[in-house]
Amino acid sequence: MTELRSRLDWGTFAPLRLKARSVADGVYAGSHKSPRKGSGVEFGGHRAYVPGDDLRYIDRHALMRHGDLLIREFETETDRDLWLFVDASKSMSYAGPGGPGPKYAFAALLAAALAYIAMRTGDRVGLDFFGGKGARPIPPRSGRDAFERIVHALEDVEPDGDLSADRGLLEQALGQAQRSARRGAIQVVLTDLLDLPGGSLETLATLTTRGRLLSVVQVLAPAERDFPFEGAVQLRALEGKTLVETDAALSRANYLAALAAAQRQAEQQLLPRGGRLLKCATTDAPEELVRRILSSYVEPSA
Amino acid sequence: MSFVTIFALGLSLLVAAPTLAHLLRRGRANEQSFPAAALVPVTRSTARERSRLEDRGLLLLRALMILCLALLGAGPLVRCSRVALGRSAGASVAIAIVVDDSASMRTRSPNGKTRFQRAIEGAHELLSSAREGDVVALVRAGKPARLSLAAGSDLAAVARAIDELRPTDRATDLSAAITLGRAALSSLPHQDKRVVLLSDLAGELPGEPGADVWAALPELAHKADDCGVLRAEQSGPRVSAVVACSTEAAARSRSLKLITKDASSKAEARLVVQRGEQTLTLESKAEASAVELTGSDQNPDDDRAEVAPESRGLSLAVHVDSAGEAVATGGAPLLEQALHSLSYGAPVRPLAELPREAAELNDVAALFIDDPPGLTPETRGVMDSWLEGGAVAALFLGARAHDTQLGASLEPFLRGAVAWEPLPQGGKVDVASFGWLGAEAESLLDIAPKGRARLDSALLPGAEVVGRWSDGKVLVTRQERGRGLLFSVGLPVSVQISDLPLRPAFLALLDHVVSEALRRRGPRASEAGTDWWFPAAGNLRVTGSAGPLALREADGQRVTTPEVVGRYQIDLNGKSEARFITLPAEEVLSEPKQELPSAWRANKAGAAPQVDASPELGWLLLALLALELGARFWRLLRERRAQGAIQPTSP
Repeated sequence: MTELRSRLDWGTFAPLRLKARSVADGVYAGSHKSPRKGSGVEFGGHRAYVPGDDLRYIDRHALMRHGDLLIREFETETDRDLWLFVDASKSMSYAGPGGPGPKYAFAALLAAALAYIAMRTGDRVGLDFFGGKGARPIPPRSGRDAFERIVHALEDVEPDGDLSADRGLLEQALGQAQRSARRGAIQVVLTDLLDLPGGSLETLATLTTRGRLLSVVQVLAPAERDFPFEGAVQLRALEGKTLVETDAALSRANYLAALAAAQRQAEQQLLPRGGRLLKCATTDAPEELVRRILSSYVEPSA
Repeated sequence: MSFVTIFALGLSLLVAAPTLAHLLRRGRANEQSFPAAALVPVTRSTARERSRLEDRGLLLLRALMILCLALLGAGPLVRCSRVALGRSAGASVAIAIVVDDSASMRTRSPNGKTRFQRAIEGAHELLSSAREGDVVALVRAGKPARLSLAAGSDLAAVARAIDELRPTDRATDLSAAITLGRAALSSLPHQDKRVVLLSDLAGELPGEPGADVWAALPELAHKADDCGVLRAEQSGPRVSAVVACSTEAAARSRSLKLITKDASSKAEARLVVQRGEQTLTLESKAEASAVELTGSDQNPDDDRAEVAPESRGLSLAVHVDSAGEAVATGGAPLLEQALHSLSYGAPVRPLAELPREAAELNDVAALFIDDPPGLTPETRGVMDSWLEGGAVAALFLGARAHDTQLGASLEPFLRGAVAWEPLPQGGKVDVASFGWLGAEAESLLDIAPKGRARLDSALLPGAEVVGRWSDGKVLVTRQERGRGLLFSVGLPVSVQISDLPLRPAFLALLDHVVSEALRRRGPRASEAGTDWWFPAAGNLRVTGSAGPLALREADGQRVTTPEVVGRYQIDLNGKSEARFITLPAEEVLSEPKQELPSAWRANKAGAAPQVDASPELGWLLLALLALELGARFWRLLRERRAQGAIQPTSP
């Protein structure tokens, strides 16, 4: 059983490791189609056979022609690194009425599932956070051990920090990727897009330079999506000092309209630069969401 | 007040709790975390205002519920203005409820109720606080005080008896009522006995107030502005009326108006602005039926009185042979002086001769004849019809009874000759046979008469011997004749013959005769509560303004007691007579006693009335709960309707 290292209540998204594997398996079972199929696997040369090498990779033609045991080596497309950015600011700790768990937990589940899929295809996976207490960036690595590191890093974080007040939290995480992500790298940002400081979307859009792919996944709680409150309520933002007193019944329509407008604005910022915005709620099926994220790289224009 | 009561009442301070909660809730709506708060539009003022308006009713309901709970906790120890019994250590009590039904109790309080109505309410309230084991007697304080219901534990019977009480125009007799109440409880084994006065205390109070008396409704003793017509008489064209006013304010701007049968008179006389009685005279050619006060006061029931024909009042007549019975000092005869000493207020008319015409006895209630030499046929005829009207005559026989004149006799007292004889040796009065005279009969023991009239052989049929000599011979007889009564005494009123005129028993005998006369004849105008006596035989009907009066049997006669002022028609054996009941002056003039003896202000338990209002409070609490549920349901419906108007949409 996964040990919960942070004080976050993960709700139904725990244990993260098992859930992530389950989601990843579900993604395969559902589509039987890898986004990596036929792309990026190229011949890398020969080397002498050493005991223990997989016999499937012995070059039969070279053996018959020269009588030497040579192993065919393949070189993967290392430019297809997967960069995961998870928003761990305070607002991501919100689960809301009707939510199965915090938004951060859902985002972490999606991130871990994506990492697992990448590991199985041999891609390197890097991880960084926007804010968060105990956040520990993981540079791009491959292999099963890297997956464990990523899961541990995700579990160690407790959502904290105010993005609206500290723009550096966002730029600090994105700066590393901007500098080191290779051409063709896939970047997935898991955030609620709330309480972001002004110009944050432009900053995110810079990730799409140099042929890098960007998917921004907006994770919302069901309450944020539907605004189910009744009567007179006082709503306090988790980041910033916003405090609103309102009649829920009267303001519901206006809120939903404001939310839709904000989402349209984000799309308008991302789409022209090759970015993509995916909207989801914590009650959505994670397998389907992962599949949509991955499919965006097969059908980038989708 | 016990600790529990204080604690329970202290809980009522919690009434502030919902108020505080409401204020906090109203000041700050339900706060929730919501990351997307920046996208929510502000409608604060609307939300707060709506919350304030809707919650105010609920706040009030909850505060009332807490108060009810606190009062329920305080239980039966809550004080209130109801009249109720306090108990010493919870023991059962014996109470005599004295309800004042005098005329002054008709006075209205500022709330429009009469004092009598409030007294009846108080009696019921008192009764409702009684419980099993308590004994209740009911006394009416209108003069004379009467026991309405003997002490008993049947509270339902007491309640019925209270309901049957009616206000009267009697005078007030509080002292006798208290005595009667105490007597009604005297034989009961209860330790806690109380006389509860439900009266305006406008009457004479006992000199030494007992601690067992409780004036339960001191609010009845409020001063009232009242003028009342005591009586009115017509003599020829003049109507004379006596009006009494309790205050000067009551008499201000008021007049007395004459009402005639043909409604032709407009005679009016203005009242003098003064407290007390005043006599007003009005002229009217037509026959007056009533007089009425204009304006209004706190007791409108006594503002009108029927006009009675003038009555000269009843007198006592005495016929004495002045030559033989004159007092040595030259004063009036002994019989006349004795009648004066009885102080009846009725004039004593000496008759030089026995009456020969009926008019001579018109206003005479009682006739005393001393040692006549017989009664002439004219006198006998006059007396016959006079006696039928309810008069009383007393005949004292001396030596002259033996020498009746020609044509004279002693009828209707006696028949035939009456002998005068010396008293036998050792002869005395049989004191035991004079028991009806009371203790004074003892004084007849040694009157040492020089002779006596022998009545034995002259008795008429139906004569009753009510006094004898020691040898069994007749000394005094009593005989009914129509509505009248005849007494015959075998001794004269002469100190030369015996000491009888000097003995207390003689005055007692005269008093008895006069009382009988007043009782039988009855004055034409009398105060409410006066008994009217009539013979047991014959057709009798006494009709007042409210219908026929009830008749009862007493001492072999029929009696009725009119209680309300007005004109009464008496029909007896085909003869009609009008009598009038007048208002006692003290019922208007007596001021309620506001300075009560301290012992009367609270009941014996030494506490103010305490009432268990738990059932009422319980019902109130249930009603409040139902109201709150209704209010919540109504609010829920409104919110549902509001939700239906705005359908949420998914982003």
